[in-house]
Amino acid sequence: MDTTINPPPATTDAEPHLHGDLAIWFFILAELMAFGVFFIAYAVTRAYNVEAFNAAQAGLDRNIGALNTILLITGSWGVVRSVQAARADRLVPAVRWMGVGLVCGLAFLVAKIFEYRAKFAAGLSMDTDTFHMFYFSLTFFHFMHVVLGVCILGILLLKLRRGGYGSHDVHGLETGAAYWHMVDLAWIVLFPLVYVMH
Amino acid sequence: MKYTSQAVAKPYFIGAMGLFVAQVLFGLIMGLQYVIGDFLFPHIPFNVARMVHTNALIVWLLMGFMGSAYYLVPEEAETELHSPKLALILFWVFLIAAALTVIGYLAVPYATLARITGNDLLPTMGREFLEQPTITKIGIVIVALGFLYNLSMTFLKGRKTAINTVLMIGLWGLAIFFLFSFYNPHNLVKDKFYWWWVVHLWVEGVWELILGAILAFVLIKVTGVDREVIEKWLYVIITLALVSGMVGTGHHYFWIGAPEFWQWWGSVFSALEPVPFFAMTLFAFNMVNRRRREHPNRAATLWALGTGVMAFLGAGVWGFLHTLAPVNFYTHGTQITAAHGHMAFYGAYVMVVITMISYSMPLMRGRAANSNKAQVVEMWAFWLMTVAMVFITLFLTAAGILQVWLQRVSDTPLGFMATQDQISLFYWMREVAGVVFLIGVVTYLVSFFIKGEERAA
Amino acid sequence: MTLPKNIADRVWLVMLAATLTTWALGSSGATGTWAVLVMLGLACLKGVLVILDFMELRHAPLLWRILLLGWLTLIAALIVLFYWIGST
Repeated sequence: MDTTINPPPATTDAEPHLHGDLAIWFFILAELMAFGVFFIAYAVTRAYNVEAFNAAQAGLDRNIGALNTILLITGSWGVVRSVQAARADRLVPAVRWMGVGLVCGLAFLVAKIFEYRAKFAAGLSMDTDTFHMFYFSLTFFHFMHVVLGVCILGILLLKLRRGGYGSHDVHGLETGAAYWHMVDLAWIVLFPLVYVMH
Repeated sequence: MKYTSQAVAKPYFIGAMGLFVAQVLFGLIMGLQYVIGDFLFPHIPFNVARMVHTNALIVWLLMGFMGSAYYLVPEEAETELHSPKLALILFWVFLIAAALTVIGYLAVPYATLARITGNDLLPTMGREFLEQPTITKIGIVIVALGFLYNLSMTFLKGRKTAINTVLMIGLWGLAIFFLFSFYNPHNLVKDKFYWWWVVHLWVEGVWELILGAILAFVLIKVTGVDREVIEKWLYVIITLALVSGMVGTGHHYFWIGAPEFWQWWGSVFSALEPVPFFAMTLFAFNMVNRRRREHPNRAATLWALGTGVMAFLGAGVWGFLHTLAPVNFYTHGTQITAAHGHMAFYGAYVMVVITMISYSMPLMRGRAANSNKAQVVEMWAFWLMTVAMVFITLFLTAAGILQVWLQRVSDTPLGFMATQDQISLFYWMREVAGVVFLIGVVTYLVSFFIKGEERAA
Repeated sequence: MTLPKNIADRVWLVMLAATLTTWALGSSGATGTWAVLVMLGLACLKGVLVILDFMELRHAPLLWRILLLGWLTLIAALIVLFYWIGST
């Protein structure tokens, strides 16, 4: 059987269609709207408090933010490779790649917890100032999405191990993967916006 | 009707309609008291009329939900109700408790009612919408537990569909969040904070699950569209409703002493609350357009479509109007809130209960649909009530805008009562629209008694 | 250097490079209009790659591609607008 992973099997290319359940795509849109409104609120508020925001932003740990980004894009990459492998019925790599995604997600959570601990130890909280209100709100809102995403990846991993996905059925796998990529996408905007740009 | 035990819904619907009439009558009384302050004083003071108006609404909607659930769950689960007898007993307990409570409100001063019902032992009275004496609240919990037991047993032994699962989650949530009405901390901030866990998490949380499930059920029946399609929409709508609605609780935490970040969280998430309602409108119209059969009950279809549109306008648009913190800073607690409350409750919950009644009552009376003549009258009732509610909302919105301007924005702000005098013209117009609404309610009730050729069930 | 055959691998390498560039710019203390535009541009590049190649919308119905890419464009445009307002 053909084991090249790219391009995907002809059936998926036959006609344009969404990978994953339609419902998850509506959900992704709604989630992106929530993130979007929050991002715009940040930008608007910053426009009227530029100096305070720049000063407070300087206190953030850019290194850990960049590490978080690398973990998420690597995790997303793993999930993509896992879906590709499952479509080609190569279940062992599919499980391994999903494992990469899961480990990256968990590492993201651990890194974030360390970041929060440092902030709390410095006496910072949502009530400190408007910048920190946004910083904690946005990152925590995203954090909760990673928590849910990690749970989803865990479930996908278990089902992959049982042979639940393959060329016969990748619907659930693609649905979970789409959600995980949304979590990645939100962070890709969040990281430069909150951690770096000034 | 597929299962004989579904008929227990009938008394619930009749009881609900009776309380609906009472609610509208007391609404008219207090509407008049806005402009003629001593109308019916001292027999029915404004605060009592208001209490009856709002509590009757809540109780009849609960009755409507219960009736709908008793009808819906057996049919979806494809099995008879666990215990029809328990359902009937609980109906009478609920109705008598509700009647005694209303008599209590009207017969004695509120403080006396609190004393004779033993409020001192477990104080829960005196909070808006949760004014019921503690013993009534305990009664509600007992009725709700019996109701949930009965339906859960039915659900567990039968088929589990997306619709009855969502409905059961909604009903359990309703009962669980009601328990916060027993938590009455002395700290006013905490008191308000958890009070919203009942009030907000009901109407903008779990009730939306009930609404979605009932609407999906009726749409499957009247359109014949595939269950898979309808269930997918239902999942999307309830997820959006829960995500936006839960955190959207924050729009009540702007000025009560809760931390400042709620102004952001509340604004952002409640700004998304119109989305599920918009999806619901799309859903209803889409399904009716893709219908695979012409159901003889056109009135029920009309109510279902109306629910989508009016819920979006009342809950979605009119909610968004004053949900952002900088806007709410000026509009908080004005007639704009009243405008939103009226159209949202009517559009979302009144209309969905009537949709279910319209669909199921003919079936429970042994026919697929009412006669054409009766349906025409029912559709008149739909338009009378709905148009009257649109006008009530518009007049209250106008009153609210003027009130905000005169009382809060102007350089020379007027006092509360002086402002009320200035906006009395709108209150009069609202009262006229209210009378039209009552005519609509009566027309609706009349439509049940109109004979004519019927089609067999 | 030979490029990886799998497009997902290429996308991942591009995104890594973009992230490291943003991080390096931030660490070198780059500020102002150009820094903001470059960083946002890199974020958009990563976003487009995630949307088209990871979410596999490249071959999805046009409407969905427009919705997701439109979201990214709108957010980026508004951020630029308000950064510009803030800088004047």
